[in-house]
Parts: sequence; structure tokens; C-alpha cells
Amino acid sequence: MDYLSSEPGQDHLLCLAGEAIEGNEISVIHLQDISVRYRLIRERRRTFQAHVINYLKGKRIAAESLWALKQIYLEIPKGESLGIIGHNGAGKSTLLKVVSGVIKPAEGEVHVEGRIAPLIELGAGFDPELTGRENIYLNAAILGFSRKEINSKFDRVVEFSELAEFVDSPLKNYSSGMVSRLAFSVAIEVDPDILIIDEVLAVGDVVFKKKSKERIMQFSQKGTTILFVSHNMDEIRTLCTKVLWLDQGIEKMMGKPEAVIPAYEAYHAV
Amino acid sequence: MKLLQEFSEILRYRELLRNLIERDIKKRYKRSALGFLWVMLDPLLMMLIFYIVFAGLFGKAVGNYTAYVITGIIMWQLFAQGTKVSSTAFIQNRNLISKIQLPTAIFPIAMVGSSFAHFIFSLIPLFIIILFSGTIPSYYLPLLPVAIALIVIFSMGISLTISTLTVFFHDVVYIYDVLLIGWMYLSAIFYPVSILPQKFQMLMSLNPLYHYISLFRACIYDTTLPIAEHLMFGTAFAVVSFAMGWTIYHRNRDKIIFYV
Repeated sequence: MDYLSSEPGQDHLLCLAGEAIEGNEISVIHLQDISVRYRLIRERRRTFQAHVINYLKGKRIAAESLWALKQIYLEIPKGESLGIIGHNGAGKSTLLKVVSGVIKPAEGEVHVEGRIAPLIELGAGFDPELTGRENIYLNAAILGFSRKEINSKFDRVVEFSELAEFVDSPLKNYSSGMVSRLAFSVAIEVDPDILIIDEVLAVGDVVFKKKSKERIMQFSQKGTTILFVSHNMDEIRTLCTKVLWLDQGIEKMMGKPEAVIPAYEAYHAV
Repeated sequence: MKLLQEFSEILRYRELLRNLIERDIKKRYKRSALGFLWVMLDPLLMMLIFYIVFAGLFGKAVGNYTAYVITGIIMWQLFAQGTKVSSTAFIQNRNLISKIQLPTAIFPIAMVGSSFAHFIFSLIPLFIIILFSGTIPSYYLPLLPVAIALIVIFSMGISLTISTLTVFFHDVVYIYDVLLIGWMYLSAIFYPVSILPQKFQMLMSLNPLYHYISLFRACIYDTTLPIAEHLMFGTAFAVVSFAMGWTIYHRNRDKIIFYV
């Protein structure tokens, strides 16, 4: 009898848990009123001399600054693909940097859960003097892989990049398309929870572009959360379930692609 | 706590640390015919020069001049090379720092690591010279790892300081270059301290490098040196340097990305 009486309570708990899983409302990225401020270049005192002179003059130049992002609130549930659009200097890349942890915002809070793979400017970690092979190891280490993991993934990387015959020549002899292919191939080997893509689909030839797009779609289907910056509205439409339009660091509009993209295009057509 | 956190981060990225050190060494010798042999030739050639120029002058006062000079050069190089290269550690890696989240301190630390790797290889010519010149190795030799650890920690402190300051003031690179030249002449690498006037000999104990070099000499061949005193000063300087470097780096850590 005792056993039975405790059942309703348990049912209730189970029910709650079930709802949470079904609703899939666990957000993996949560940005609370983020603001990022950049200092303007002319304000920077790069030499001791300038610094000391200014100090002696009592000139404490009030930091001339620019808000790259202002009061951004963002909540992304697991598995969502968010497209970020906006003009140059709208704060798109800055937002990606905040999410990936490179920049600490001046204000606001950042909560990000899971392993992040940044496909930001491919090949940032490449060294032209080293060979393709050495660069694969270096780049994989930058992405946080251990030696063992790199060894096991090495062949797959080379195969995907289609650069097997060049893998032992220095990177400076590669074409820029080849470099991007190699970088992309390393980066997608991170099995990420969050994939951050900053206009990388613009690399390589048509065939490779198609291949990398397919790969990204695969990630999306697997439940990887994707943040995607692009100027190509077609790509945004095919890849994203939600779009954020930034304008001078401020959220202009957020919603379904079919709502935001026409508004964005209309705004800039004027 | 913050210190431990960042250190465990760096430890997690040890594969990157290894790769950075490897890259530094590979790139340095990739274009040369003798390649890695230069790591060993470099201190030998420097010793040869010092020997030719100064042996007549200081040889008598020092006693075992060959051993004296090569130990001085090798210790100096371990410190100077690592800290000098790391002055631009953040700036040269700005591409990475501004794009991917990493424990940034890994870059200057890798430069000290690379210098340490060079040092390990330069032990080969050192021991060849010690053996061929008929020098008897010191019974303090087991203390060698301690001596090395101290100078490496000291170098890391300086390296974090210099690399962070350089991000905000580029002049630091040039100032440090000049400073290093002066510092080298003040560190009793090729002359004995006994040639200095009495009051300067006292001041010498304020030079951290003097203690590290002496400690190294004591561990390698010269048992007459006051090893306890050098150990004490060496430890104190290492702790102070590291605390300073870490504080300066950590306070500015989040600002670095906006300035590199």
C-alpha cells in the first residue's frame, strides 16, 4: 500500500522530464544583453613616449570607442541553425567571437555549452613554411586534439581535402583554394556541438563548395547547433531555421528566414 | 585559482604547445644546410670567439676558462633567446588569438619551451668540451634539474611580462633588445667577478642571471662556488619574476585581443 501511494508523485516527475525532452528547449547558447566595445585606432597610444607625454599633460583621453554590439540577447536551442546577416561592420563576426569565447564582452553574460568548432577564417593557424602534413597536425592541435586523435583522423582529412599528392610540400606552394580546402577538412573533423561558420562556403571550386555544403548539412541533421554568417541569402535560406539581422551592432530583426530576408533585402534596395 | 585554471587549460593544450615548439625549431633551421646541427655549433662558435678574444685577458684569473665560458654562454642563451623571441609572441600569433579561443599564455611559454629544447641539445657540446678539456664533473650534478627549473621559471616570468607589455607598447621590443645586450655584459659570462671593483661585486648579487649562471657552473664543474647562496637567490628571483609576469599577463589578458 505504501508503495502504491507514492506512485502519483513519481508519475508527475516522469511527466515533467518527458516534457523537457520532447520540447527540446535546452538552449546551448544563451547571451544575456551582450555589449562589446572596440577602441578606435587613433586613440591607441602605442609608444611609451606618447603615453608619457599624454600622461604628463594630464590628458587622459576619454576612450573614443565604438559599440560593435549593443544589448544583444540571444537564445539558441540545441540543433538550431541561426543565420546572421547584416552589412560589413554590423557586428556579425564580433558576435561569433563572443560565442566562441575569444572576446569577453564589456557587458552582459555568456553561457555556452558544448564543444565549439570555429570555421572562422580558415587557415588562421596555418604556417606557409610548413608542409601540408605539418600544418594538419598544427591546426588540429589548435582545435584541441590530442596526438592520438590527430593520428586517427589524419587519413580522413587528407582524403576529404583531395590533396594527398601535395601533403608533403610546403604550404606556400599551395594555391589559396588548396589552403582553404585543407583547412576546411581539418576543421570539420572536430565533432562539435556548436559549429561556427564565417563565410567559408566561398572557398574552393564548385565541386568542393558543394561537398562542404553537404557536410555542413550533415552536421545540421545530426543535431549540431550552427551559427552561420553569410552575405549569400540563398545559402542562408537553405541552411538556417532562424535569422538574426544585425545593423551597427544592434538587433534589427530576428525570426524565420522567409520573414527576415525579404525585409533585409527591401531595406537595402532603397 | 585562476592561475591553476589557466595552467590546466595549457596542459590540456599540451599538444599545441608541442607543435608550437616544434614549429619554432623547424622553421629556424629548415632553410639551412646544416640544419639542426646549428643548435650545437652555435654555442661552440661563440665560445671560440670569446676564447680567442678574452682567454689571454681573463684566462689566468678564471682557471678553467673553456668550461667557464661555455657554461656562461649556454645559460645565457637559455634565458635570452627564449625571452627575446617571446617579446613578439602575442603579436606574431594575432591571427590565432583573435579568432580561436585558446589559453593565450601558451605562446610566450612555447617560446621559452623552444629555448629549453635548444638548451637540451647544447648539453651535448657542453659535455664534449668538459670531457675533452679534462675537467672533473661536479658532485653537485644531481642538482642540475633544480638549477634549470629555476632559470626556466624565471624566464617564463620575464617572457609573460615582455610579451604582454609589447602588445600595448611596441617600443618594449627595442628596449628589451638593448637591455639584453647590457645585461649580457653584466652577467659575468666571459670574465670573472673578481676583476670588478669591490662595490660592484656586491651589486652582482642583484643580477638574477649571475646566480643562475653560477648555479649552473657549480652543478657542472666548479664545486668552490657558494651553491646554497645561489640557490637561495635563484629561487627568490624565480618566484618574484613569475609572480610579476603572471600578474601583468592576467590583468591584461582580456584586453590583449583588442590591441594585438
